[in-house]
Amino acid sequence: MKNPFSRRIDYTELADRELVALAKEDKEAFGELYERYLPKIYSYIYYRTGNVHDAEDLTAKVFFRALSHIGNYVEKGLPFQAWLYRIAHNLVANWHRDQSRRKIIALDEYVAHSLSSEAPDSRTEEVEERNQLLDAIRELPDDRQQLLILKFVEQMSNAEIGAIMGRTEGAIKSLYHRTLLALRNELKSMQAGEPDRPLGADEG
Amino acid sequence: MMRTMSISVDSDTRDLLDAITSRLQSGESAEALRAQSEDSQRELDDVLEIVQSLHASLTPLNPSPEFADGLGAELRNGSPGEAGRLRRVPARLSVAAILAVFAGCILFMLRRIFGSEAAADIQEEAVATPL
Repeated sequence: MKNPFSRRIDYTELADRELVALAKEDKEAFGELYERYLPKIYSYIYYRTGNVHDAEDLTAKVFFRALSHIGNYVEKGLPFQAWLYRIAHNLVANWHRDQSRRKIIALDEYVAHSLSSEAPDSRTEEVEERNQLLDAIRELPDDRQQLLILKFVEQMSNAEIGAIMGRTEGAIKSLYHRTLLALRNELKSMQAGEPDRPLGADEG
Repeated sequence: MMRTMSISVDSDTRDLLDAITSRLQSGESAEALRAQSEDSQRELDDVLEIVQSLHASLTPLNPSPEFADGLGAELRNGSPGEAGRLRRVPARLSVAAILAVFAGCILFMLRRIFGSEAAADIQEEAVATPL
C-alpha cells in the first residue's frame, strides 16, 4: 500500500551533490543531472570537434560513461561538472587521436549559418574574421582550446577552470595570457598570408 | 562588480608603478620605459580586440531537441536504444552502408527492367529462328 504521506521528489530543487547520491540508484536523478549539464557538455564538445554529428556522438558517450561509473563516483572536493568535463576532455582527446585529419568545415558553417539570417552582404567581412579566429583557435594546443571554451562558452571563473584542468588559478591566468598572445600572433601571420606554424612555441 | 574592477585596476596600477620605480632604480632610462609602455599599450589594444572577438564568437550552443530528448530517454531506460547504437556507428560506415543499399536497389531495378527485356528478346529470337 502506498504511503499517503510520501511525496514525489522534486529533483530540480536538489543540489548536484544530493542528485549524485540519488543517481547511484535512481535514473530520474541522473536524468536531472543530464538536463542540467547537457548544453554545457554539448557546447564544449561541439567547439572541440567542429561538427554536429561527432558532437552528438561524443556527448552521448560522455553521459553513458558517467551513468555507468556514477556508482563509483566519490566527490573529493571536485564538483560533479568537473568530473563530466574530464570525461568529455578524455573522449575528445581520443577522438582527435583517431582522426586522420581534422574536419575544418563545420564551425565555419555554423558561423555562416548564424549570420546568414542577417544582412549577408554587409556581414561578409565579419564572417571572414570569425572564420579566421576559429581557424586560429583550432590550431591551438588542446589545453588552450579547452581554456578558451570554458572561459567564453561556459563563462567559468579561473578557479572553476583550474578545478577542471587540474591547475592552480595562477597557472590558468598565465596560460590565458599566453593563449591570447599566441592567438594575436597567429591572426597577424594569417592576415599577412604567412604559412602555418605551430602555435604556442613562440611565446611565454 | 564595478567596485571589484576598480580595486583590481588600483592594484594593477600599484604593481605597475612599483615595477617602473624598481626598473628606474636599476638604471633603465625613462625614455626606454616610456617606449616599452607604448608597446605594452599597443599589445593591450590588440589583445582586447581578440577578447572581444572571442566573446562574440564563442557562444553557448544547444543540441537539437530530438537529440536531447532521445538521449534523455535512453539514459532513463539505462541502455542505448536502436538510435543510440546507430549513432555510435562511425559516419563513414553509415555512408558506406547507405551507398551499398542504394546501389543494391539500383542493380535490382536494372535487372528487373533490362533482365525481362533481354529475356523477351531471346524468346522472340527463338521463335523467329527456324529449327
